This record gives sequence, structure tokens and C-alpha cells, in this order.
Amino acid sequence: MKGDYDKYDIEEPIAALATPWGESAIAVIRTSGRGVLEILDELFTSGGGKEKKDSKDTKLSKARGYSLIHGYIYDPDFKGESEKREIIDEVMIAIFKAPKSYTGEDAAEIYCHGGLPIIKRILDLLLKRGFRSASPGEFTMRAFLNGKLDLTRAEAVNELIRAKTDTARELAFQRLSGSIEERINEVKGILKRMAASVELQLDYAEDDIDEEPEVIEKELLDDASRVREKLDLLRKSYRTGKLYQEGITIVLAGGTNAGKSTLFNLFLREERAIVSEIHGTTRDYIEGNVTISGIPVRLFDTAGLRRSDDPLEMEGVRRSDRMIREADLIVYLVDGQEGLSKEDQGFLHRRGIEERVIPVWNKSDLLQPGENPPEGFIPISAVTGEGFEKLVEEIENRVLAGVSVKRGEPVIDSLRQKELLDGACRAVEAFGNALKEGQPLDVAAVELNEALGCLGEITGEVTTGEILNSIFSRFCVGK
Amino acid sequence: MDFDAIVIGGGHAGIEAALALSRMGFETLFITQNLDVIGKMSCNPAIGGLAKGNLVREVDALGGEMARLIDATMIQFRILNKSKGPAVQAYRAQADKAAYSLLAKWTLERQESLYLFQDTVTDFILDTPGREIRGVITERGKRFHSRVVVLTTGTFMEGKIFIGEYSTSSGRLGEPAAVGLGKSLRRMGFEVGRLKTGTPARALRSSLDFGKMEEQPGDREVFPFSFSNERVERPNVSCYITFTTPETHRIIRDNMDKSPLYSGKIVGVGPRYCPSIEDKVVRFPDRERHQIFVEPEGLSTEEVYLNGISSSLPEDVQEKFLKTVPGFERIVITRPGYAVEYDYLNPTQLYPSLETKRIKGLFIAGQTNGTSGYEEAAAQGLMAGINAGLFLQGREPLVLSRVDAYIGVLIDDLVTLGTEEPYRLFTSRAEYRLALRHDTADERLFEKGYRAGLHGRESYEKFLEKMKSIGEIRELLKKRRVAERDTTRLVSIGIHLGKSFEQALKDPNIKISDLALLEEELAAKKQEYLRRVELDVKYEGYLKRQQEQVDRFLRMENRRIPENFDYDSAVGLSKEAREKLKRVRPVSLGQASRIQGVRSSDIAVLLVHLKRGA
Repeated sequence: MKGDYDKYDIEEPIAALATPWGESAIAVIRTSGRGVLEILDELFTSGGGKEKKDSKDTKLSKARGYSLIHGYIYDPDFKGESEKREIIDEVMIAIFKAPKSYTGEDAAEIYCHGGLPIIKRILDLLLKRGFRSASPGEFTMRAFLNGKLDLTRAEAVNELIRAKTDTARELAFQRLSGSIEERINEVKGILKRMAASVELQLDYAEDDIDEEPEVIEKELLDDASRVREKLDLLRKSYRTGKLYQEGITIVLAGGTNAGKSTLFNLFLREERAIVSEIHGTTRDYIEGNVTISGIPVRLFDTAGLRRSDDPLEMEGVRRSDRMIREADLIVYLVDGQEGLSKEDQGFLHRRGIEERVIPVWNKSDLLQPGENPPEGFIPISAVTGEGFEKLVEEIENRVLAGVSVKRGEPVIDSLRQKELLDGACRAVEAFGNALKEGQPLDVAAVELNEALGCLGEITGEVTTGEILNSIFSRFCVGK
Repeated sequence: MDFDAIVIGGGHAGIEAALALSRMGFETLFITQNLDVIGKMSCNPAIGGLAKGNLVREVDALGGEMARLIDATMIQFRILNKSKGPAVQAYRAQADKAAYSLLAKWTLERQESLYLFQDTVTDFILDTPGREIRGVITERGKRFHSRVVVLTTGTFMEGKIFIGEYSTSSGRLGEPAAVGLGKSLRRMGFEVGRLKTGTPARALRSSLDFGKMEEQPGDREVFPFSFSNERVERPNVSCYITFTTPETHRIIRDNMDKSPLYSGKIVGVGPRYCPSIEDKVVRFPDRERHQIFVEPEGLSTEEVYLNGISSSLPEDVQEKFLKTVPGFERIVITRPGYAVEYDYLNPTQLYPSLETKRIKGLFIAGQTNGTSGYEEAAAQGLMAGINAGLFLQGREPLVLSRVDAYIGVLIDDLVTLGTEEPYRLFTSRAEYRLALRHDTADERLFEKGYRAGLHGRESYEKFLEKMKSIGEIRELLKKRRVAERDTTRLVSIGIHLGKSFEQALKDPNIKISDLALLEEELAAKKQEYLRRVELDVKYEGYLKRQQEQVDRFLRMENRRIPENFDYDSAVGLSKEAREKLKRVRPVSLGQASRIQGVRSSDIAVLLVHLKRGA
């Protein structure tokens, strides 16, 4: 077994930048491990930095857990001309005492100024003084190893960080608070009860048991279908979870001059807060990130679709074509002034397009009174914004079809969990079928065992190195 | 006097341990308090039953004696759970107790290198640092030396029996306890606890009215427990079923204060699943009746055993409540029921080889380890004997895993979890039951027994012959296809025309005996072998599924933890886990994960540390 997991260790002091590597007002450097506070004491003074270290200096290692201490980080090996210490930065340090910390170990978070040279100096200093750079997910791994989190929660930590929208964040937060674990334990409870009833049947000879086998079988079948329902609900939530976590791709397509770019800008204006514009490398498309109903959307404005002899433009068209093939939704604009062209009609009836396309009749502001667009088209004016709301509504309807998020219901978004849930479902179904087919109980019991095993693996009751590796290596450093 | 090995105790564990050691060629001394009560059945007159029947056949496959003893002395045979599937079906036989005991003794007497001696062991001889066994000291002051000792004293160690107000130092009614041993074990630092078990009254057959009971005859078809026996021809005597009445329960309730179980006289913990009638009445107040099986104690006795109503109430109360049972109105009791309390060693003090962690060369097996049941005792006795022998040879111990055998489940449970009450093996204790069918015990274990030196060349060759024949049946089923001519002789096979016999056999409506009618080559094979292959084919899908589970299980099982692993330096372990791990000292991560109080995160911590050490 090879992998990052091999490198994980516990107790050894680790440090990592927890905020993004870039200029910012404040950066957070996270540390954890045995003796981290003592090491930091060697680099820290609360005494204004001007004088030498004295007994009045606050000792981090003596500070109470959950306290915040102001002071200065300096390099003890570096002495300036006047015997003064060279201060690297003025910082705040949050103190956490084992086991009351995220990792369960002694830990400290250093809030320093967010200039890159400062961050680099502090990190270098930490490494020099005995810290090791944390591997991806190592902080969370330690939290798991120290029994602070089960696996579903550990995974949720990662999702929380990766969450792109508020809904995704909320769902991940629910997982972090253990809602999946709770739900799975509930199902496990039923399965265990079923197993117990099966085992009771098997442990005693026919003469020793009063209960009728038929009654027990009926109960088992009822329980099996209840378990199926509950598991199905969780499994289905995977789609929802994925939707909110990974979002969808919408491509704006249509003939040249249909008003795609105007509409694109309209989308971005409406979502000013999260607007970012990325230009395609060959200027053949533009990408923007927006949020619709809490779902992160990657929106692409593509090159107009038309025949051309210009090789450069043809390349642009080819790329647009590929984006259209891969998009979750296509908003197809028709220039209302020009009416439906042959290209438009050809496109709208292309195979594999129809169910993903939302036809839009643009420039509705220029329509004559009483004039209506053809059926199935949403009339909008990308210039005035008229009809835009209706378009967004349609997008929501399409995206959320068959996907529901009930408040408070746990939603999974890890593929690992999804596959294990599938496995458990298959096993429970096989159990029911075996009973119906009249297979003996001891044989059917194999499936119950399988289902329990799958669920146990989700919450980490069954722990193997492989599982740990696959989960924690997906984390970013500093978590 | 010097021996290679000494076995203390003449019960079911002692018999197997002594035979295994002497069959491996070691000069073995067998010491017991009374040579006339070897292999005695202190409780019910039966061998086998659910999970236990599997144990008996596993003992046989490894080269033990129990199956042959019961085959020769049974007086009724039944297959239990015929309706419930292949993995939980089990053989059970009523035994002629006296015949069983005599045959056991005679078998030991005829065994080469085995010396029987009547005396009571009261102390051990150790080396100077007190870490290795050197021999034993007896009541009569004799000193015997040996390099290994197997202790199998059952309920006799500081045994005390109770009947109402009456109590006396005794291991079995009428037989003195072994006093002194428990004390020396405590002195040597072993943690010794108290357990309790009970047995019902025996009565005169002629005093019972069987007309008021339901007859329970044995099966017509009798199968031998032992793989070495082709067939068993023994008498078939019936048992009878009757029930307690509300009046029975009233009498018991009214006299509960006289029960040593409830008056606080007995401190030992009793078996939950084999409760006394007092327990049953208290714990199931709504039950109107409890079942009683009337079982013959043998062919040469009029005594019968009243299975299901063990009691330690005063004798007059026992008689009074028994007389309220239909058919028992004029019962004549020959011996009262009683409770027995005895010393046991919590088996977490043992390695999976059953050697004690504290004293090298000292092995402990049977009820002394907190189990109940003849079969559990025999299985441990055999393994302790084999491992003591392998120890003498300087070889690795034979440790069976939970997927090898019920014996593996039994011993792993004992040494990993320990026990606070008399431990009984259940099929539900095994996770991978389909792999532990009783009919495959030889396939699973014969080779291991042969390697340990318990099977002769001749019987080994017979075994290989059998495996070959079974292989041929499997081949034949794969090759032979359902042909037109078959469908005229067996209409129901028509839908499988052109398919292999193997595929046709997966049809619940097709039996292998049907196929044997169509194919001479199959018909020529032994019934027993055909049935065995039939089960494999019919449940192939499930067997495969289980095999996947087994493979996952073995991945953790194969992660060894070094014997000297320092749990104190394994940072991140929870306090509880650290304590438990230090106590049990599991040999693998798999075993560690089964210890109660060890969480999955503790296992993850161990994973990390083991990798670092590697």
C-alpha cells in the first residue's frame, strides 16, 4: 500500500499555511503536534520586541486553551547590529490545548500579515525549528486518529472548504455535524435488529423457538423494504450533493449577432457578487461563474455558429461545438428580428440537444405589439432585461428536476459514500429476494452481513489503510 | 519421575489433550482424581447440536477422538435445523453415558506413550524465575516433572455445589473438588474468577407416564460424526417432550427465597442462554410453560435426564414442582438438580495457542477457561494438546482463524474478548458460517491435523482419495450437458436442455440425486460426496459473496502486530483502548479490532504506528 497516507504521522509538530498562498490582509498559519507551544515560545515575544526576552514575557506554553495572545515573531538565530531581536511580524496567536483542539493535540494558529515574504519567513523559521510541512489533510487525519471525527465528518470538512455556494456550504456543514452518520446509524440499527432476529432463528433448533417462521419472515421483509427506502433517499441525495458541490455548465449558443454576449453580461450583472470573467485562451469563448438557486454555474459565451472559410473562425466554431456537446444546459438564442434561420432550425433539432436546450427568442423589446415568438421559445430582451427572470426560472426548473433538497435532510456528495450505499442497497435487496425465493436463512444472512459491512465502512467503523489514504489525500494542505 | 508432558484432568478436554500429545509421540502423564470417571457427561447425555456438532466434526478432522467416541456409543441420532439451511444444520446424538465414559477410558489406556495415574494435583513446579513450567506436585506429595503441562480441571477447581441450603466442596455431586490448585494459580499471578452452572434432577424412567408426553424419535438415517466411519449402526431410543405448568411456576416463585441463586450464596455468574428453571420463571413471567426434554441416560440404566429444568432449589421443592408436570405425577427422583460454582481463569490471559502468557509451557483448556459444553472443552483440549506438542518440537503453534473453523471462532473469542459468564458457542458467533459447514470440516482441517502428526499415512491417503473423488464429481457436473435422452427420464430437466449439469443443479427443483439417475458415472460416487458437492453448487453465488467478505477480513487479520509492540509509545490511542490492548496483546490488527472498547480510530492509530515501525 503506497500513497500519501504513508507519510502521515501523529504527534510530530506540523505547520502549514491555512489561507491561500497570495497577498491578503491577514494570513493564518496552522500548527499542531506535541510541544508546538514550547517551540513557538522560542520564536515569540509579547514584550514589544524592543527589549530582550524577560520573565514578564507571556509564555504560549503557559497560556490557557482558547486564548488569543498578541506579540511578535522573531528569528532567535538572527541578531541585528545592536543586539536587538529582528522582528519578523506582529501577530496574534490562538492557543489550543489537547484534547480541546481540532486535531486533539496541542495546537496554535498564527495570524500574521498577509504579505508573501512575511508568510515565507515565518514558515521557513518554523521548519528550521523542528516543524514539518503538513501533508494534505493531515490536520483532519489527526482529528480522525484522535477520535474527534468519524469519516463522514472528516470528508465533510473537505467539502466545506471546497463548497462554492452557500447551499453547498450548508449541506457540508450538516454532514460535519454528523447528520449522515446519524442517518446511517439509524439504518444500521434496523439492520442489526434484523440480523439479531435471523441469528436467533439460527442459534436455536426448531423445537426451542416459539415464534412462527412465517411471521418472522414477514417482519424481515418489511424491515428490508424500510431500509431500502431510507438508503435510497440518501443515495438519491448524491445527485443533489454533487449538483451543489460541483455545479453545472451552461453554454450560450446561437447565430452571430443573436445577442449572446449581451445576455452573458446580463447574467454576470445579476450576480455581481461572484462575478469573475475568464477569457478563453484563443478568445473563442468567455467563461463566467454565477450562482443560480445556490447552484454554482459555469457559464460560457461561445463563438457564433456559422459557416465560414476563415480557418481561425472555423476553429472557434469547432470548440463551441465541443462545449455544447458537454454542457449540462444550452441556452440557444434566436435573433427575434431575423426570425428562425435554417441553421437555428438545424441546431434545435439536433440529436442529443433537444432535451438540454432552452430556446430563447431575443430582442423581444423590438417585437410588434401582438406579435408572439414561436411556441416553446422564451421571449427576452437581453438589452432591457425583460423576460430574464423567466429564463432563470426555467433554468432552475430544468436543473432541479428530480433533485430535491429538504431542509435538514442529509445530503451526500462523496463518491465513496455513494458507492458503499449502492453496495448496501444491493445487498439488502438480495436479502429480500433470497427470502422470497425460499433460500434458507443462513444463506440469506450473508447479504445482511454485507450490507452492515458497507455501512460500517462509510462511517469508518471498518478502517483500512486504503480507505484512509483515499480520503485524506484529497484534502488541501493546512486542513 | 520425568515426562515430556502432563495433562491434568480427565474430562473431555483432558482426553483430547492427552491423546494428541501421546499420538505426537510424547511421553505423556495423564493425572486425574478418579480413573473411573473419565469422559463423564456431568450434564445432558448428548453430544453435538447447533455449532457444537460442527465442533465435534472439526475435532475429528484434526485427529481428535470425540466423534469416534460418540459414534460408538450413541443411542439416538438427529440432524437439527433441516429446514434452515446448510450452514446451520448440525448433528446431535444422545449418548449412552456409561458406555461413552468406559470407551474413553479404554481408548486412553490402549494409547501408546500415555500413562494414566490417579491422584490430585495441588501445585505446580516452576523454574527459579517463576516463568516456565517444570512439573506438578500432587496431594499425596508426588512430584512429576515435564516441560509442558495442560490444565483441564473443569468445574473441579475449588468447586462447590449447592442444593437449597445445602452446600459442599465438590466438583460434581458425590465427587470431591480439587482444592489448592486455584490458590496456587492466584499465587502465580493469574486472575481467577468464579462461574456457576447447574444441572437438573435425574429420575427413574419407570416412574414417568410417557403417554402424557410427546415422543421425539431419532432420525431413521444415521450419519457418523467421524469422517473415519463409513456408517454407524446403533440402537435408536426415543426422547420425550413435556412442559411445565402455571402451577410449577407458582411453586418455584413461592420458594425462590430458598434458592442459593437468589439468596446471594452463589457469587459466580451463570450462563444466560442455559438458565435454571428459577431464572426462566423470573425472567419470563409471561410464559405459561417451559419445555422439558426427557432424555435416556443410557441403555444400561433406568435413569433419565430432565433437560430444561436445571435447579438448585431444596430437594423437597424440586420434587414438589416436578410433580406438577404432565407425566411426572409419580416421579421418583434418583439425584437432585444442583448448582456448581467453580474457579475459572479469564482466557484473555492466554495466547491463541492456549498457552498462558504468564507461564511458558503451561496450557489451559476447557471449562477452566470459562466455557460450557463438552464439545467446547474437547476442541480446546485438542488444540492445547497439539500446541503443547508443537511447543515441545519447537514448531510454530497451530492457530485456526475465524474463517478456518468454529474452533477458531471459539478460541479467538475467548482469548480476545475473555468471558464473564460461561461461554457457549453459537452459530451466530461465526461471521462466515457458509464456509464452516460441518460436512467440509475435513476439507478445511484434515491436512493441518496430518501436519501436526495426528493422522497416520493411511488415513491421510484415504482423505486425499476422497478429495479426488469430490473433484471428479465437480468436473463431471461441469462437462456433462443435459441431453435429449435425459428429458425423457426426468421431465423437469427439459428447460435446461443443452446446459451443463452444474447449471441445471442450481435450479431449486433439481437435486443431485436426480442427476445421478441420469448419469452412471455420478451414480457410482458416494452419496455423501454427492451431497457435499450439491451444496457447493446450489449456494455458489452466496459462497462467492462470502468469500469476498472473508478476503477483506483476512487483510486485517494478516496485519501482524509484533509481540513486543509498545502500546505506551503509540500516541493517539484512547486510554481505554491502550489498557485493553496491553492486556490482550492481540497478534493482529484484526484481533485488535475485535477487542471491546477499541474504536476504529484506535485501529487507524495502530495502522500508522505499525507502518512506521515496519
